[in-house]
Amino acid sequence: MLEALLLAALVFVLHRRFAADYPPAPIGLATLHRGEAAFVQSVAEVLFPGGAGLPVAGADAKLPHYLDRHLSALPRRQRLQIRALLLVFEHLTLFVPGDAPGGRRRFSSLSAPSRVAMLERVAEHPLSFVRTLFMALRAVLVLGYLGHPANLCQLGVAPFEIEPATSDAELLFPRVGGLPGSIRYEASDFAAPAGAPGAATRVHPPLDPHGPRHRAYLRAGRDVR
Amino acid sequence: MSVAQDWLDSARERVRVFAQYDGPFEEQADVVVVGSGPCGAVAAYELAAAGKDVVLVEEGPPFTVRDFELDGNLSMTRTMREGGLRMTRGTRMPTMQAIALGGGSLVNSAICVRPPDSVFERWATRFDLERTDRASLDPHFDAISEFLGIAPTPDEVQGPRNLLFRDACRALGLSSEPIARNVRGCRGSGECFTGCRSRAKQSMDVSYVPAALRAGARVMTSLQVQEIRHSGRRATGVSGQVVAPFAHGAAAGAGRRGLSHRFRIDARAVVLAAGCTATPVLLERSGNLANASGQVGENLQFHPGVAIAGVFPEPTDPQFGATQGYQSLAFLDEGFKLETLWAPPPILSIRLPGQGAELVARFGEIPRMAVWDAIASANRSLGRVRARRGSLDPVLDWRLHPDDVTILRRALRVIAELFFAAGAEKILPGVAGLPEVMTDLAQTRRLESDEVRAEGLVMGGNHVFCTTRMHGDPTLGVVDEDGRCHDLDNLYIADTGIFPQCPSVNPMLTGMALARRQARVLADRL
Repeated sequence: MLEALLLAALVFVLHRRFAADYPPAPIGLATLHRGEAAFVQSVAEVLFPGGAGLPVAGADAKLPHYLDRHLSALPRRQRLQIRALLLVFEHLTLFVPGDAPGGRRRFSSLSAPSRVAMLERVAEHPLSFVRTLFMALRAVLVLGYLGHPANLCQLGVAPFEIEPATSDAELLFPRVGGLPGSIRYEASDFAAPAGAPGAATRVHPPLDPHGPRHRAYLRAGRDVR
Repeated sequence: MSVAQDWLDSARERVRVFAQYDGPFEEQADVVVVGSGPCGAVAAYELAAAGKDVVLVEEGPPFTVRDFELDGNLSMTRTMREGGLRMTRGTRMPTMQAIALGGGSLVNSAICVRPPDSVFERWATRFDLERTDRASLDPHFDAISEFLGIAPTPDEVQGPRNLLFRDACRALGLSSEPIARNVRGCRGSGECFTGCRSRAKQSMDVSYVPAALRAGARVMTSLQVQEIRHSGRRATGVSGQVVAPFAHGAAAGAGRRGLSHRFRIDARAVVLAAGCTATPVLLERSGNLANASGQVGENLQFHPGVAIAGVFPEPTDPQFGATQGYQSLAFLDEGFKLETLWAPPPILSIRLPGQGAELVARFGEIPRMAVWDAIASANRSLGRVRARRGSLDPVLDWRLHPDDVTILRRALRVIAELFFAAGAEKILPGVAGLPEVMTDLAQTRRLESDEVRAEGLVMGGNHVFCTTRMHGDPTLGVVDEDGRCHDLDNLYIADTGIFPQCPSVNPMLTGMALARRQARVLADRL
């Protein structure tokens, strides 16, 4: 009986420490749970602050959604590795609180200055293994943050608007997952720089380096503003 | 009906995609080619053109332009094995292998370089190869070059970040040249790594695979070959299962890990072109096949690459221009090749230093940035490939040799010097333990010092070699000079695994030339 009570108490404490009191997960997440989403958001807020030159701040870049999409597309093993990374960094401060105010709390519960201090500590940690883990976490978030269409548009490095070509591949193969009957092109639609002998080819001139960018990126950029 | 529509209708009949498989099946052919990357596609075309009944099997799906994902990270999760997160053990280094019709050619930067004579001389003398010299391969290089329109990248699609490299080489008195690529009508979109929406890049799915179909081959995608069937000294075919596109992710529509119906393809000969990391795993999974020499999976080599970002006072319009448009072979004898490089900016930015406002401000320098890289002939850095338990994924054990660290240090120093010769205001070396930013030439000396350690280098290694190496002596190699396994009469390997050593330059063209030669020999033997 005593053992059961102790076990229940331990579970309660662990739950309080590791899993309780997270805000509800943002709507639309398929893979990330609310604790992971809270952690990602809390890192994004301090890693990519607003007012530093790009239109979208980390807090507004919807990085939990980006990471959720990324994780959903990954193989199970890699998905588990990234989730383990999130778990480790979220709870590291429970065990290694450092001298930041706030004491032994989860990363996402720390104040912004404490989170900054924590990130600086792990980024400059003497153990290369710890630095490597941090770089992996940082990489995942940089991909989502800088990949935000509004940020890419602001920098002038969003993909160009290009009329997709119709090559032999488009004539021969359906879109991924589709049946051959869904191919909507015929031989006369061929419009690519090279292909079947005798086909009319169409070679476009080089792009204008300052020419229009992909409309989906422009639209997303406008939506932010 | 036009001739073109005629061939199209006929070719479509000989293509199979995932949605068409509705149960187990068996096929027969003269030759089954496993893998549709540059080597497999060339082999399939040559064999079909010689009148053989060919089945080209590919594990990945075909991609149309509308399937390309513009976000670099998400593109990698769809087109690369292990979601683009494959790493070596030992010395940790990312390495990417594609899973798509056309293999790596769909998402590489189309570089086609013929190795210098010295590479083939080294291969001949050290590996008992009599017919693998430059003169013997030149006719194959020529034929492929004509087929794919391989030509130097024209100036009008170089863009400033490539031309600055040219100018820097001139300033330092180094040779340089526009990179020859399998491209027709490049528009300079700089998006080779996520798929060419202009279809200017002559990746295999728009070149050799359609040509193979035209010559009568069958192309079966979304088939995972799990075993090479064999009896005595003869391969009798392959077997495996249908696999859903992007089966590793949530898109999987079939059973566990996306695997469903079983298939078997019987053939008079088998050509393995699954790639340098997959082919040895397949042989291991097929009962340690073709491994009397003990060399299957051994001798793993890479061209480890390092890169530096430079920031210029004026905009470089980096999104515009050939992904990799200029190179210098001036240091091949010292063990490295220099190139320009671009990739989706979020991917390049992973290695930018700092965090918080400093990091965001650093992103603001991207419009004035260029990235130049070096790949090293790391012949002394060796490893091995083994099958991961319960999986067809490989475990890649590899260690960077200290002598090759010296080569990479030298390469970093030269790149840094080039940047300052081109007028860069600063460089971001990305080497742990060194300053994050260097602003003058004097600082670059540190890049060639002992301060640069193997674990401090940020490397990538996408050129992989030697795991089923070609050797004249059957006790020291897996295949002979025709790519035929020493242990079997009709099993051939056609990928960069058969290279006896790394070739010092980008390997695609060499792999295709060897595959073309092998396919012609095989066609004569059947």
